[in-house]
Amino acid sequence: MQLLWQILVNGVLLGGLYALMALGLALVWGVLRIVNLAHGAFIMLGAYVCYYLFAGLGLDPFAALPVAMLVMFTFGYLVQRGVLNLVVRAPMFDTLLITFGIDVLLTYFAQLAFTADFRAINPSYAGDNFELLGATVPLVRVAAFGVALLLTFGLWLLLMRTRVGRAIRAAAQNLVAARLYGVEPRNLYAVTFGLGTALAGAAGSLYGVVSQVSPYIGSSLTGKSFAIAIIGGLDNPLYVIVGGMVLGIVEALTALYIGPTYTDVASFGILVLVLIVRPKGLLGRTA
Amino acid sequence: MTLPVRAVIVAIVVALLAAVPSIAPAIIVQFGISALIMVTLAQSWNIIGGYTGYTAFGNSVFYGLGGYGTAVAMVQFHLPFAAGLALGAALAVVFALLLGLPVLRLRGQYFAIATLGLVGVMTAIVSNLDIAGSNSGLVLPLLKGDTLFYELALALALLTTLTVAWIARSRFGFGLIAIRENEEAAEVMGIDTTLHKVLAFMLSAVFSALAGGIHAYWITYIDPAGAFDVTLNVKMIIMVVFGGPGTVLGPVVGAVLLSAISEILAVNVTSFAGMFFGLVVVIAIVFMPRGLTDVMRRFREVGWRCFQENVRTYRV
Repeated sequence: MQLLWQILVNGVLLGGLYALMALGLALVWGVLRIVNLAHGAFIMLGAYVCYYLFAGLGLDPFAALPVAMLVMFTFGYLVQRGVLNLVVRAPMFDTLLITFGIDVLLTYFAQLAFTADFRAINPSYAGDNFELLGATVPLVRVAAFGVALLLTFGLWLLLMRTRVGRAIRAAAQNLVAARLYGVEPRNLYAVTFGLGTALAGAAGSLYGVVSQVSPYIGSSLTGKSFAIAIIGGLDNPLYVIVGGMVLGIVEALTALYIGPTYTDVASFGILVLVLIVRPKGLLGRTA
Repeated sequence: MTLPVRAVIVAIVVALLAAVPSIAPAIIVQFGISALIMVTLAQSWNIIGGYTGYTAFGNSVFYGLGGYGTAVAMVQFHLPFAAGLALGAALAVVFALLLGLPVLRLRGQYFAIATLGLVGVMTAIVSNLDIAGSNSGLVLPLLKGDTLFYELALALALLTTLTVAWIARSRFGFGLIAIRENEEAAEVMGIDTTLHKVLAFMLSAVFSALAGGIHAYWITYIDPAGAFDVTLNVKMIIMVVFGGPGTVLGPVVGAVLLSAISEILAVNVTSFAGMFFGLVVVIAIVFMPRGLTDVMRRFREVGWRCFQENVRTYRV
């Protein structure tokens, strides 16, 4: 019972981070109709940006996180403006292939630039933890969970309450009508994709704090993000949190009862199962 | 051309290709083996992706199962190579049948993502199987001499291409094309769409698995990351899309061309070869999304402007 409680706490804390990972993917998928296979690679890049700010400049990872987000926003904006805007109206199949090409490019780039060594962002307080009803709770995981929830709520506010958010939602619903009302898609799409990669950058920074980073983590993280986006649907960021928690808890239970090497079986299995049973998504609507 | 003339031409080309190991240097034969394996994989993808219109991202699962069937049979049970190939092919066909039934009900991006998910599931499962050597993989017995592998790969590529040629002119193939063009209409016309799709998936599986088995025995090593590599699946797609999806010879041209390009890159710019592949994919999708044949035809009409027009079609 004690063990199960500990596992649930771990699962929920991990789930918050997972939700943040999937958030950018769901935003880009829902608005731009781009199924971004490079999403995991963007998370990986964000983790490296945070790592070098931490290891090179000695910045605290939670202070480095906004910087990493800004860097990744700029990068994502340029990728959409320079490349993806050229194919955004092509059949879904083309965007799948081109984002896979970007994924390959980024992975090999990371391997050349950062080497294949595993890196971890471990500030002085990395080992601190506290007790919660008998469960040990690592401080950084709680902080990562808090930041993830904050950013998710921030995105929800941005989409619901700001001009840019309204324009993004309008473009997602009906691009032609949105254009008639003065929405300029080239810039708006780039901003949306930039927001998606900024969220990936934030998720990567937090991932680097609670786990280890290598150039090859991308494809597994893309898979997890897809599973969460399929569970949560694409129309509400708050549902994505639920999707993230579901995956976090399922993975934690799998690690406990079947074995820690089976977590990928669980996450990819959920992805396939949910698609087969309810292709429109479990909670919300998908594209 | 009449059919007998064509048959004679095909026979001459095949005889010339079969004679390659006895006249060409070893490096050409080795390139031939990997190119012929790619031809087989591209043609298998052509059946499900080109003719049926289902953009599978999970064909590398069949390739991996074929390789693992062969490896497990030879290493763990000391069976002959032929038995291993049969086991691998059987595994892939059963997988295509059992998972094809639910997954082929999905359309478009959902089918693509589900098959991509299957690759993840299979990689993770095989990495945990002791009989398959877990994460570290299996080392197969060494067989000297590339000639046997070359002739096997040639025979398989030929068989796959002949099957596609049969599909192109058979009732079954017209059924697949009807599904690609409009699945509801095909259903209304009395085509058993489920049967057609699952059969196409199984055909795709059996050839990919045989290619995987030959490749595993040839390089005498198999591991989960290499066997189920999604990049391989994307290569199949690119080869078919560039050669011409839903044609008999297009995938052959695409596979040989792309194999040659990646071979030249691998020799000249070893550490950047992987990045170049990514770059090729990005540039190709931006400038020639409808393949090489389309560009060649339009290039004759409008010259360099055809690239400009291609970019204009899909941008915002």
